[in-house]
Amino acid sequence: MANYSTSQFKNGLKLMLDGNPCSIISNEIRKPGKGQASNKVKLRDLITGKTLEKTFKSGESVEGADVMELDMQYLYNDGSEWNFMDPDTFEQYVINDDAMDDVRGYLVEQDMCVVTLWNDNPISVTPPNHVILEVVDTDPGLKGDTAGTGGKPATMNTGVVVQVPLFISIGEKVKVDTRTNEYAGRS
Amino acid sequence: MNMREDLKKYSDFLQKIRRYFNDQNVLEVQTPLLLNNPTTDVYIDSISITVNQAINAKSTKYLHISPELEMKKLLVSGSGDIYQICEVFRDNEQGSQNFNEFTMLEYYRLGFDIHQLMGDMVKLLKTLGVEYRVSKLSYAQAFFEYCDIDILNTDFSALKIIAKIHDLSTDFEWIEDLQILLFTHLIEPKLKNLPLCFIYDYPAMQSALAIVEGKVSHRFELYMNGVEIANGYDELQEASAYRRCFVSEIDKRSTLGKTSVDLDEDLLLSLSGSLPQCSGVSIGIERLLSQIS
Repeated sequence: MANYSTSQFKNGLKLMLDGNPCSIISNEIRKPGKGQASNKVKLRDLITGKTLEKTFKSGESVEGADVMELDMQYLYNDGSEWNFMDPDTFEQYVINDDAMDDVRGYLVEQDMCVVTLWNDNPISVTPPNHVILEVVDTDPGLKGDTAGTGGKPATMNTGVVVQVPLFISIGEKVKVDTRTNEYAGRS
Repeated sequence: MNMREDLKKYSDFLQKIRRYFNDQNVLEVQTPLLLNNPTTDVYIDSISITVNQAINAKSTKYLHISPELEMKKLLVSGSGDIYQICEVFRDNEQGSQNFNEFTMLEYYRLGFDIHQLMGDMVKLLKTLGVEYRVSKLSYAQAFFEYCDIDILNTDFSALKIIAKIHDLSTDFEWIEDLQILLFTHLIEPKLKNLPLCFIYDYPAMQSALAIVEGKVSHRFELYMNGVEIANGYDELQEASAYRRCFVSEIDKRSTLGKTSVDLDEDLLLSLSGSLPQCSGVSIGIERLLSQIS
């Protein structure tokens, strides 16, 4: 993989740091009145999700990470592995259950997701911003409550628990914002 | 706010500065912006311009990066206390706080050491409406207090080990560049909480054109909320000292493969009468304004 000099740094550039692929969130150049410039960079570790702050000497070069983001269709989950397909090549990718912690509850078969590949191996999945899920368990609704005040927890068919308005009942399909885990309306 | 009010505000600001210096009997001067030689500073590049091409007398001139050396010629010639407000120009600048052109206030006070000059700056800032809490830390104190490093007594190889621990580059030609990187990485974030902070007595290797005494150089910087605003020195006096600095800078530029610069013998000749003991400081006007309005 190519190396990148600090002058090529920009948001979204993927670099290898401490053995993990990272993505640049922000890049600020600091040039003292006397002395050499440096780049203060914030990065997200794509494996751990943690944010790092690094200072690079200006002109320093860093190994790039072979990271690609592809649109893929979620096919099915066989209990321990999650299966995705690249709709252009029909190539299938398998992701281990432990990489799916944050997104497991938002994956609906046939939905298009963004799969991040590092050296051709999937490392993370970003579900669509909104998904349609079915309520499988919640307390009985209150008739006539359409104002949506208050709310109650509801368990979805994918296992995720979302706060929904009181009028929502079991069997209904609702739209959920996957970034905030919030109810976003009836489907 | 409309354009006229903005302009008025800036004009009033400049007038307050001029009134302050007038009251102190510090004389306003103007020095040439267009020079025959580029700067020798290792990490600053002059902007060059070609003149007189159409009249077959083509030559290259350089916009000044600071009025410092031209003002020092005046000091050598007996100008006494002087100040200047002018535009300065620098090539290859990048970053949200760095521009190819900015406004600089530079002034020199005869008989002042850096602590007297810092005190004077606080008075100047007060007249501009800046009455924040003032902190003063020596460079060594800052490293002791914020990261437990004895910066003046840590050699290059030990400093590289510290850099490695902090996951910083260790690929440096000179210790001062690594000291600066460590300062940027470890100290500057801590200065964000200090509205007005002077850092003084820089390591001797970072003396620039300041007098060196033992392990430190009598140089200071002013930080406002972590932003570098001003840089001041107890000025070198002898032309021979200036020659040593310029030669060393020129060597460093060539080691780094930067555009080569010739030693300005005319300038050194002008400085040969030697400067009176004085301290001087340059203040970035736009940066100062950004921290007070």
